[in-house]
Amino acid sequence: MPAYKLTYFNVRGRGELIRLLFAAGEIPYEDVRIESDNWPELKPKTPMGQVPILEVDGEVICQSMAIARFVAREAGLLGKTHLDQARADMLLDGGIDVGKLFEEMVMEKDASKKAEKKKEFGEKTLPPFLALYEGFAGDNGYFVGYSLTWSDIAFFNMMDFITAEFPSALDGYCNLTKVIKIVKRVPGIAKWLKERPITDN
Amino acid sequence: MPAYKLTYFNARGRAEPIRLLFAAAGIKYEDVRIEGADWPALKPKTPMGYLPILEVDGATLCESTAIARFVAKRAGLVGKDDLQQAKADMIDDGMKDILRKLILMVLEKDEIKKEELKTDISEKTLPEFLSKYENLANPSGFFVGDSLSWVDVTFYNLIERVRAMFPGDHLKGKPNLVKVMANVKANPGIAKWVKERPESAF
Repeated sequence: MPAYKLTYFNVRGRGELIRLLFAAGEIPYEDVRIESDNWPELKPKTPMGQVPILEVDGEVICQSMAIARFVAREAGLLGKTHLDQARADMLLDGGIDVGKLFEEMVMEKDASKKAEKKKEFGEKTLPPFLALYEGFAGDNGYFVGYSLTWSDIAFFNMMDFITAEFPSALDGYCNLTKVIKIVKRVPGIAKWLKERPITDN
Repeated sequence: MPAYKLTYFNARGRAEPIRLLFAAAGIKYEDVRIEGADWPALKPKTPMGYLPILEVDGATLCESTAIARFVAKRAGLVGKDDLQQAKADMIDDGMKDILRKLILMVLEKDEIKKEELKTDISEKTLPEFLSKYENLANPSGFFVGDSLSWVDVTFYNLIERVRAMFPGDHLKGKPNLVKVMANVKANPGIAKWVKERPESAF
């Protein structure tokens, strides 16, 4: 049983999907959270000067999605066939642009620019994306096939951030609401959601 | 009758890594290139409203990286275990930042801003990226294990794109990366494809 050590800042950010996947698979791991003060010393020791990093079997993997995919595989949540796996990849990649725009909006320091970006996101960016993904989600509450895959969990994680700013975003989207319900009820995830450190982002 | 149908514009763009992988593995596929005028009619039939798409086994996939990874799996070019696969994913993901910057630079209409972006890439982003990747490639010229994987191919494609925009010997003093490029070019399927592929502006 390999030992897994995840290192990131004390935020959800780009580490949370990985943590959710470890939780879903009930895979024990070391959840190291570093202070920003300690980062300059660690940075040159990472493969690409970034965190999160995952240390396993003497190897260091970086890039949050590469790590997430690896953990999803360990947890049996990748998708059963190559085609299912590709479908999960596609759905994840398809959410990246929206995720970036949301991040930009949240990080915007100028209050009036932020309000503008928030309006644009809520009125122009989010609705077509959710409408598209409502179509992708099956009415059984899974994005791929008939069982949980990491794409369901990734969607939950993304909406966890988005609904903090737009609480009623999923109103009227039956399939997407089902996806969220199912993910929250996965035992390992339910436990993690109760116990995880509270952070601003 | 090929079981794979790739649809994109008549360009290398986001489809070329996929075409290179099909070529490297010697897998037959239909390489459909549509005209700009035909795009509006096709768009609503795609999963997310953009190309490339790959039709296979009755399913339609989009997202060029998802498709590339899928073709790599079918071609046996993913790495021999889950850790190698993760390393490959990490290598490909790490290329996305510089690719994004290149695209932003190409699309920038303001000439002054464009020059600034160009300078930032050639003086900062590109050298930093190549230094990091020199350390990530091994001396036999592979990013993962000791044989060709899909990310050697996507790296080769990225460098070709970079060279088109920034002429110069960027790999000088980077023997591992020079070897990666040589290994990819030496693959018979890729060598043949590069000679025969349609010419396109980008």
